Amino acid sequence: MKRWPAAILFVFLAAAALRAQATTAQLEANKPVTVPFELIQTKHIAVQIKINGKGPYRVIFDTGAPVTLLNTKIAKESGVLGKNAKGGGFGLFGMAGQAKIKELQVGDLKAADVPAIIMDHPTVDAISKALGPIEGIVGFPFFARYKMTLDYQAKEMTFVPNGFNPPDVMASLMTTIMAMMNDKQPPPKILAPAAQWGLVVTKKADDDEPGVTIKEVRSGSAAAAAGLKAGDRLLTLDGRWTDTVADTYTAAGFVKPGQAAKVVVKRGDKEIEVAVKPVSGI
Amino acid sequence: MRLPWLLLGLALLGVALPLGADEPKKADAKPTTGEAKPLQIPYRLTETKHVLIRAKINGKGPFNFILDTGAPALFVATSVCKKLGVAPGKDGWGTFEKFEVEGGAVLSKAKGRIEDPFQLEGMNSLGLAGAELHGMIGYTVLARFRIEFDFTKDKMTWTPLDYNPPLPRGLDGGGTAGMDAMAGMVKMVTGLLGKRPKPEIVPRGFLGFAWEEKENPKTEAAEIVVNSVVADGPAAKAGLKVGDVIREFQAKHVKVANDIQKLANSVRAGDTVKVTILHPETGPKAEALTIQAAEGF
Repeated sequence: MKRWPAAILFVFLAAAALRAQATTAQLEANKPVTVPFELIQTKHIAVQIKINGKGPYRVIFDTGAPVTLLNTKIAKESGVLGKNAKGGGFGLFGMAGQAKIKELQVGDLKAADVPAIIMDHPTVDAISKALGPIEGIVGFPFFARYKMTLDYQAKEMTFVPNGFNPPDVMASLMTTIMAMMNDKQPPPKILAPAAQWGLVVTKKADDDEPGVTIKEVRSGSAAAAAGLKAGDRLLTLDGRWTDTVADTYTAAGFVKPGQAAKVVVKRGDKEIEVAVKPVSGI
Repeated sequence: MRLPWLLLGLALLGVALPLGADEPKKADAKPTTGEAKPLQIPYRLTETKHVLIRAKINGKGPFNFILDTGAPALFVATSVCKKLGVAPGKDGWGTFEKFEVEGGAVLSKAKGRIEDPFQLEGMNSLGLAGAELHGMIGYTVLARFRIEFDFTKDKMTWTPLDYNPPLPRGLDGGGTAGMDAMAGMVKMVTGLLGKRPKPEIVPRGFLGFAWEEKENPKTEAAEIVVNSVVADGPAAKAGLKVGDVIREFQAKHVKVANDIQKLANSVRAGDTVKVTILHPETGPKAEALTIQAAEGF
C-alpha cells in the first residue's frame, strides 16, 4: 500500500484524540416502553423523535446503522450543532462530525447522551423527497441500550433497558483505519474458546459436507463425559453451525465455563444431541 | 479530517437502500416453520457494530448477512449467486429454493435482490467489518418474525409469525444523484487505500489443564489452583499436577481467573508456554514448567 504523507496520519491521530469518552448507559425505569412506527412505502421503519425537546422529527429506525445520524437542519434546530457551525472541512453532504445528543426521545422513550453524526445523507434525502420529510436515522448507539422487540405486523417496537453499553463504532473504525495506514500484515487473530472441552476437530480441504470431524476426545474431559466419540461428525455447537474448524472455535468462544451447551453430532446415520459442560481451562 | 469521515460515511451507510422503481409484486415465499416456537438465532456484532447473522442458501454456505431494517428486502451478493447458480431475473430479483438462517429459521422460495450494494463492497474491500459480508437481510425476511434484540445475550429470539410480506416498492423517479455520488466516493476511497491485508485466523492451542480461583487460607488472597489435568496432555507431560498453584503464565503474574483466561487466549498450537507454579507439598519454592501447546480445545 502507498505511504500516506505524515500530515494525513496526523489528522487521523487528531481525530482519534477528539473522541469523547464512551457513554455510560443511562438506566431508565425498567418497564417496557412501546413505540409505534410507520412502515413507509420503501419498507423502511419511520419513527417520530424529539431531540433536546425539539421536534417531532420523522426519522428512519435502522438496525443496520451503526450510528445515529441527524441532518444538518435538525441538528441546528435542536442545538446539537451550533447555529452557525460549518461542516468539518469536508463540504460534501454537509458532514459536520460527531456530536452528542443530550436527550433523544423516540416515542415515549428518552435516552441521554446519545452519540450522533451530523450529515445530509443522500439516501435519506432521496426518500425524503419522494415520501415526505425524513430527517435522519436512529441506529445502534440508541437501540443497543435496550432489549428491543421488533414486530412489523403490530407496527411497534418495545424497549426495556438492558444495561448494555454500546461500544463506539467511531473508536473501532479509527483503530481499523490506523491499522490500514500501516503496510504491515495485521497480527493473527486467535480464535479462543471460552472454556476447555477436550476436543480435537479436523476437516479436509476438499470436504464440503456439513460439520467437522471429531478427531479425538481427550479422556476425562467434558466432551468425553457427555459421550462424544472420535469419528463423530460435529454439526452444531450451542446452536451454531460448525462447518469449518474456525467456525467450531468461534462457536466455542460463546460458551462460558460451566454452561451446558447443546451439541449435535452425526454418528453413522443418526443425529445425536448431547449437552456438554466445558470447564475453566485450556 | 477528510479521510476518516469519508471512510466512516461508507461504513455507516449499510442503511436505507431504496430499490429501483420496480412494480410492486406479490410475494410467494412462505415460511416452512409452521409452529410459532421462538427460535434462538446466533448473531455477532461486527467491528462496524452491524448485527451479523449467517444463512445457508440451497444447502451451501454459510454466508454472512447484516440484519438490516434499513434494507427493504433480502440482498444477496452477485458472487454468491453465481456460485449457487441462481441468476437474477430482468427485474433484479432471484428466487432461493431454501434460505436457512442459523438457529433454525427456514424460508422456502425466498425472493431476494441479487446485487452488490456499494456499502458492502466498500466494507469488504477494506475489511472494515472483520468478516466478509455476503448480503443483507431486510424487510421481506424480517417481517415474518417478531424479533428480539438483546446485546447482553449471545443469541436473538425470532418468533415466526403467520405473515407473508409483500415485496417492497421502490422510489419512483429521481433522487439518486446523491447516492451515485456516494457510491463513486466509496469506490474512490477504497481504490486509494487498496485492499487491506486480512489477518491470519488461528485456532487457539490446547494445554490440557483446568483451573479454579480459590482463596488461599493463609494469605486470604485469590489464587489460581489447577483442578484437573488431562491425562497424557501437554500439561501432564510437563509435570503439572492437580493442586498446583499457578503464579505466572507466560511470565505474567496471575491471581484471578480472568488474568489467566486472558493470557491463555493468545496461546497457539505449537507455542511454548512458560508457567510458574507452586507445589503445595514442596513448599514456597516456585517451579518453572514449559508446556508445548497442542491442537484442540
